[in-house]
Amino acid sequence: MTDDVKVADKTDSLTDLKETDEDLRLPSVVEPAHFPVETIDTEARHQTPAVGQRATRPDGRLHGLGQTKYIDDITFPNMLFAKMKRAGISSALIKSIDTSEAEAMPGVAAVLTGREIPVNSYGPSYQDQPVLADERVFHAGDPVAAVAAVTEQIAEEACERIKVEYEPLEPVYDPVEAMKDEIRVHPPHSNIYATKRIKKGDLEKGFAEADHIFEGVYSTQMIEHVPLEPHASIAQWDPNGRVTLWSSLGRITLGRADIARTLDMPINKIRIVGTIVGGNFGGKNEITTEPALALLSRKTGRPVKMVYTREEEFIASTTRHPFIMEYKTGVTKDGMITARKVRLVLDGGAYCSWSETTLGKACILSAGPYNIENLLAEAYCMYTNKTMAGAMRGFGAPQVCFAYESQMDEIAHKLGIDPLELRMKNAFHEGSASPTGQVLQSVVVKDSLEKAAERFGWKEDGQ
Amino acid sequence: MTDVTLTINGEERSASVPPETSLLRLLRDEFYLTGSKLGCDVGDCGACTVIVDGLPVNACLMLAGQVDGRDVVTIEGLATLEDLHPIQKAFEEFASLQCGFCGPGVIIAAKGLLDRNPDPTKEEIKDALSGNLCRCTGYTKMIEAVQDAARILRGEKEAA
Repeated sequence: MTDDVKVADKTDSLTDLKETDEDLRLPSVVEPAHFPVETIDTEARHQTPAVGQRATRPDGRLHGLGQTKYIDDITFPNMLFAKMKRAGISSALIKSIDTSEAEAMPGVAAVLTGREIPVNSYGPSYQDQPVLADERVFHAGDPVAAVAAVTEQIAEEACERIKVEYEPLEPVYDPVEAMKDEIRVHPPHSNIYATKRIKKGDLEKGFAEADHIFEGVYSTQMIEHVPLEPHASIAQWDPNGRVTLWSSLGRITLGRADIARTLDMPINKIRIVGTIVGGNFGGKNEITTEPALALLSRKTGRPVKMVYTREEEFIASTTRHPFIMEYKTGVTKDGMITARKVRLVLDGGAYCSWSETTLGKACILSAGPYNIENLLAEAYCMYTNKTMAGAMRGFGAPQVCFAYESQMDEIAHKLGIDPLELRMKNAFHEGSASPTGQVLQSVVVKDSLEKAAERFGWKEDGQ
Repeated sequence: MTDVTLTINGEERSASVPPETSLLRLLRDEFYLTGSKLGCDVGDCGACTVIVDGLPVNACLMLAGQVDGRDVVTIEGLATLEDLHPIQKAFEEFASLQCGFCGPGVIIAAKGLLDRNPDPTKEEIKDALSGNLCRCTGYTKMIEAVQDAARILRGEKEAA
């Protein structure tokens, strides 16, 4: 408890904090700069007194009145509603798509297939996902056609009347099985589409110094974000060949670039209006239906809206990566970790999405907040014929935390050391180096553990 | 087509809609009362909760035809920007809403409870809100807000 974090006086009121906030905003007219520019540096390790202050959210009132407009609450005159036909088969070649019956239905304004999309691929890091699958289906939630109609029901019925002929292919669902590359999700590419390796110290020497070796395999499941507001967008093509998209998308700038690419249009012809989002949690960090809606709007000259059903949220939006985590840890008899070897296999599903980011963060954090001199962490991200995994709160950090903390408990139990004490012995301290060599500052993990243990009565519980 | 005449927030309204139209679609698409949200359309999430004849219901599970001649209160009927209902005020005060999508449903469910039971226990509040899902805020602050609103409505506490 020797940490010297200074907490500012509680006399600083919320009004003062708000003023500071205002000062940080850019002025509407930029003042001429004078050089050298003087900057005011906040005192290091100085905490503002925000914690404990009573603040109300500026947007709370309209939310509570039910007046906040989310995408589905916005309507345009003469607007059409879109639905997508989902493949329902996880791996197949598309032999043919017959949309004639759907197109002939009264109330159907337009039908769109993948072949009509100028550049039919997108993705925030690799562009490996088709807007509408045209030649091949990579997972059962893949859309193969989109329909715009005067009502949602008509659009849905039209989807049912679209006939798609498939040539089924052997799918691969297990990420470890997928590593063999016997069945390739995106041939000719390997299923291993991203890797990371972190090496520190001498692993063999570390294990030789250990009195005990612990080995374990831990796994976590696929999790859907389930935002209360499903993914939703409205597209309106304007007379000058520009398109405006109202979207629940979180990263509008990134999305704009991706949409420009798929539509093969200059980015300045694409305007995205990011509305209030009804929950994101990482699941709305990339485009989904936007390019298809834009093209349906162009085809019909009318605004087009699409809202995912709850089912589509589960089968066609990103999820949290399931992890398979192998941990081997060497420990001395008094509980000091001498070496750790980690192998992570991430099930990325059919497309990359934010897998690279997740892989990197998970790998860096996989050793846990502990001083480990000898370390090897290897991580692989795999394609499988399943719903794609992407960003979700923590980008892989919760999965590895489950693994290393589970193993810490096993070690404590086996060695007869108090689980808290085992963590205190090994935990990062001020100036510790992370597995990638970053020297850490403001490290309060031991203080946090001690305080938490004190608060909930760890010792009294007889643990 | 089904003809419906009902009272919404004290006002008589009529519409002619296809028979499969839900009460939620009627409110949102015919009357533009978009405060009631469509979150799942199968009665799981409670974002569409409205009060029908004094009882909170999932508007997505009720057909428009079933509300003919009945009294419906939606979130829009509770208050105006300047004159909030004590529950809404408490939700604002306790920061019980983050993204806000579940908010109208939760507030209506809470109103449904306090109208019938002005002094509910914490367990009774939890039970009344059990049909409303929230993915951001969590439920603790909502329960605290409902308790606070109940105190104000009972006259035990001055409105802030």
